[in-house]
Amino acid sequence: MSDGAGEPAIRARALEKRFGPVTALHPLDLDVAPGATLAVLGPNGAGKSTLLRMLAGLARPTSGELRVAGDGDGRAARRRRVGLIGHATFLVPALTARENLRFAARLHGLADAEARAEHWLAELDLEGAADRRSGTFSRGMAQRLSIARALITEPALLLLDEPFTGLDPDAAERLASRLADADRRSGATTLLVTHDLARAAQLADQALVLARGRSHGLDEACLADATVLTGAYHDAVSALQGPRG
Amino acid sequence: MRAFAAILWKDLLVEWRGRDRLAAMGVFALLVVTVLFFAAPPGPLPSQREHLPGLLWVAVVFASVLGLNRSFALELENDALSALALAPVDRGWVFLGKAMASLVVLLVVQALTSLVFALFFDVDLASVAGRYALVAFLGALGLSSIGTLFAAMAVRTSYREVMLPLLLLPLLLPVVLGAVRATAGLLDGEGLLFEPLQLLLVSDGVYLIISFLGFEYVLDE
Repeated sequence: MSDGAGEPAIRARALEKRFGPVTALHPLDLDVAPGATLAVLGPNGAGKSTLLRMLAGLARPTSGELRVAGDGDGRAARRRRVGLIGHATFLVPALTARENLRFAARLHGLADAEARAEHWLAELDLEGAADRRSGTFSRGMAQRLSIARALITEPALLLLDEPFTGLDPDAAERLASRLADADRRSGATTLLVTHDLARAAQLADQALVLARGRSHGLDEACLADATVLTGAYHDAVSALQGPRG
Repeated sequence: MRAFAAILWKDLLVEWRGRDRLAAMGVFALLVVTVLFFAAPPGPLPSQREHLPGLLWVAVVFASVLGLNRSFALELENDALSALALAPVDRGWVFLGKAMASLVVLLVVQALTSLVFALFFDVDLASVAGRYALVAFLGALGLSSIGTLFAAMAVRTSYREVMLPLLLLPLLLPVVLGAVRATAGLLDGEGLLFEPLQLLLVSDGVYLIISFLGFEYVLDE
């Protein structure tokens, strides 16, 4: 799935994850070019989040090779290059928005935590709520703070795990626009796990379908619009799941 | 070190604002002391007083298990535990931040429990306060270090409230044994005994090293 120019931002070879007797992800080969946005699509239980959490360094592959942003110097170093935004916000409810951002920056060993926190509060229009505890935030505000939390470390690889879950259509649209904007400016490679095919067609320039832990890459042409992508997605899922008994 | 300081700061700030862990542990320890007072009322005979150090540490250990469970249960909200696991540092520093925060909370609970215990059971802790503080610190350090490791392991299991004491209590034996014997020596006027102190120091050291190194794998999925 790489465009072949230079070293891929993500390179997986025969990457596999099993939980006991259950194979969550069958051996997967994947190349994602630097700066590209890869949509990972699939039904529930397909192995999407497992793939994402292995890329983030939260889960160890059972076998296979995985390199992120040219790493090779350990999972701790990889975690430095990765930002994760999920349907869970990773926020500490008892801390204010400002404190949450400072905590995230300090956790990553950044010396200028205060300045970065102020920058990202302004960037995501959260200055007015900076001293409010994040536990009092609406879902939309918490998700904006969660984005700031992920971007404060300036990650080279941004992992988005169904970030639009629970948002109303307007909030989801604003979030998509902010993500696209942040992505454009930072030049980060992005991996978007979503059920929202229209959103995937809007944001991604590569797509991978997973079903029952098996994978199928889609052609770039499939991302032309939501209708084309929907057809290609259903064909891929049917092929991966095989005939139902 | 920055990650360690950040986690310690975060945990203590959250505790200061909510005080729910402190309150739960404190109230629980006081209830245990009260129950023990009525179940085994202190008498003037040596045979009636020799079990007192054990009773004091039973209250402290039970309260610490409650607090350690709570320490990681809080991290499940919004999956903040994954945020800790994503820290780009040796996860031993994450362990140390969590363990030291638990140690601070436990020391506060211990001070309160010891005071009430001394009043209820007519024990003179004041005359050995400095040496007792050292024993209490070493005991709390052992409880917090191995307790933090096992609390992190138990938190993602279905029965974490049951799982933690089942896993932890057998391993706490050397710490509790050392702490009880050292406290008994102090209360009996024998001073700070070397053997229990040595047991406490060795078990604390071993548990700290094991937990620091093992935390890398405990936070993995």
